[in-house]
Amino acid sequence: MINLILLFPILAFIILSLFKKKFLNNLMINLYALIHFVVSMALCFNVDFLPMWKTCRFFAIDDTNKIFLAVMSIVFLAVAIYNNGYVQKETSLTKKLRHYTYMILFFVFSMTGAVLSSNLGITWVFIEGTTLASAYLIYFHKTKNSIEAAWKYVFICSIGIALAFVGIILMTIATGNLNSLFYSDLYHNAPLFNHFWLQLSFVFILFGIGTKMGLAPVHFWLPDAHAEAPTPISALLSAALLNSAFLMILNVFRVMVIAGCDGYARIMLLVMGLLSLFITAVFVYHINNYKRMLAYSSIENMGILAIGTALGGIGMLAAMIHLIGHSLIKASFFLTSGNILEIYGTKKIKAVTGLLKTDRKTGWLWIASFIGIAAFPPSVLFISEFLMVKTLFMQKHFIICAVFLLLLTIIIYGLGKSVVRMAFSSNKESELPNNAIKLSWTMYAPQVIMLILAFIIGIYMPLGLSQAVLMAVAGF
Amino acid sequence: MENIFIILLGLSMIYIAATSRLAAHVNMLIAQGWLLFFVCLSGFAKEPWFNWHMIASTGNIAENMPHIIGFLFVIVETLLVKAIIIPVFLKKVLNKTQAHRDTEANIPHFYCLVIASIILFGGFLVANITAPEFKMVDGMYFGVSIAIIITSLWLITIKHKVLSNVIGFITMENGIFLLSLSVAKEMPIIVNLGVLLDIFIAVFILGMLVNEINNEFEDLEVAHLSDLKDYEYND
Repeated sequence: MINLILLFPILAFIILSLFKKKFLNNLMINLYALIHFVVSMALCFNVDFLPMWKTCRFFAIDDTNKIFLAVMSIVFLAVAIYNNGYVQKETSLTKKLRHYTYMILFFVFSMTGAVLSSNLGITWVFIEGTTLASAYLIYFHKTKNSIEAAWKYVFICSIGIALAFVGIILMTIATGNLNSLFYSDLYHNAPLFNHFWLQLSFVFILFGIGTKMGLAPVHFWLPDAHAEAPTPISALLSAALLNSAFLMILNVFRVMVIAGCDGYARIMLLVMGLLSLFITAVFVYHINNYKRMLAYSSIENMGILAIGTALGGIGMLAAMIHLIGHSLIKASFFLTSGNILEIYGTKKIKAVTGLLKTDRKTGWLWIASFIGIAAFPPSVLFISEFLMVKTLFMQKHFIICAVFLLLLTIIIYGLGKSVVRMAFSSNKESELPNNAIKLSWTMYAPQVIMLILAFIIGIYMPLGLSQAVLMAVAGF
Repeated sequence: MENIFIILLGLSMIYIAATSRLAAHVNMLIAQGWLLFFVCLSGFAKEPWFNWHMIASTGNIAENMPHIIGFLFVIVETLLVKAIIIPVFLKKVLNKTQAHRDTEANIPHFYCLVIASIILFGGFLVANITAPEFKMVDGMYFGVSIAIIITSLWLITIKHKVLSNVIGFITMENGIFLLSLSVAKEMPIIVNLGVLLDIFIAVFILGMLVNEINNEFEDLEVAHLSDLKDYEYND
């Protein structure tokens, strides 16, 4: 059944290149999103409706990547719906649109492959694939700024991924006589691994894939790329790509835990996580571009995931809940920022005034997304951050806890200042944007659905979901 | 035998560090491709399955199929891609963009020579570590490849032309390829294919971007690529 989500993009590619019809572009993205959603949900609930079709052993679903796959498919479905309204306004060139469609299909394909693969090497290949696909998408507008963003993205991420490959080579040295990179083999034989090479390999993989995930000292491509990419792509980058990079780090971290040299890995994750929070707190306050602001918020949330992973136990549980909540809310935040960009035609925070008066729906979505990301109850992020603070207390890391809370407060203030200003400030008559722009319903509905989901999980988490999350973090 | 080729690889990095002509850098990439090919060949020549009688009977070929595929891969990877396709492509880009020299490096070339030599010396020192952990790798491969990777990363940071950055990236990939040879075991073939894809497409995309940058900006200086930032002081 996994084959279906992996083979459909190829089929769609062939169909698109044979029949170069314009309506096919959107149809294929929507169809893929639908198939992705149905198959992912079936995989999560262990329903196999194509039992005859065996998957090759490089791809498998397990307790951990289930969550990642489900989150990705929900986000992709939402983005696909949003995309219908977005591309109508964006471009009229059929050829450009077709390339855009190819690349979105390839991008989602490679992220799905990275999440589902059961082999460290294959995960690496797919993560590389995501760089190639998203480079074109970031460069889609073909302006000076987007070239710069795409160049930085490709270059920094390629170097990061190359370093991660060094990490994989070192991992094969550490494995001794085991001639396999399958996660199951790695977990099974981890206690026998050579600790020196294993620790060295973790450093390289953490920094290499951490580049892709946007952890702090190596995050430089992230604000540029997120700000310059078309809106649906920003949402996918932030809510799906960063997660799939995180999954690879998580899998390698699990090897470290089983091998018994996780103490050192935890310190590195903790430092990188806190540094991410610090960088965001420093930059978010003075920022003048609201898409960059959201990108910095993504760095912050990736930092929180790293901290949760470092803490282990309940902290890990909190990280997993945080991941779900962040993806839903941040995707909705980015999509809403796309609406603002359509209405006002600028990314400057100062140029956007009186959002609520100009477009009521977008304004409220903007505020609701902010409430979600700032972890005010009933947002699900409240639960995860609360659990994380609780874990910090239980493990007696009082100073780290104080720093964590302080940095979060600064970040919320920085975000809130801009969001409130954009939403509630009064319009100057001369600066009233052109009200003629009417956005279609597809540019509101996905955000509403994702926010409702995030808030419902915050109040009532269904038993199935909480069990799935518990299963996903077992063993950390 | 292969140690000679490996040392020459290390020396080629010193040459790249010490010159400013981009065409010379591309020529060095060709040389590195050939050297890596010879390193692989001499590695294969030591394998027990490798002899010319093997080709005589089809039974032997079928038996050694995985080795032969690995061997073919190495030929394609090192000779075809590293020594032919990438340099030809880069030369085309060079001609098109009229970028010949990377003159304004932050550090004078003489110091570059010294620093690259010190890094290579460090690599040789690493090659001679006798700790028990290092018995799991071939020291010479390991030390020199680490030196190549570090030199490349350092060159990327000091060079001013985007094309020099691409060349630095490729030499780093060469270093990583040498590192993967230092592991006694074979990497799974699909991972090797991934590496090939990585180098090929990364260079292709980077080359395309170089063209685009050349069209948009007047010349290929990295300094032009600094519009995106968080603060605008005169706002």
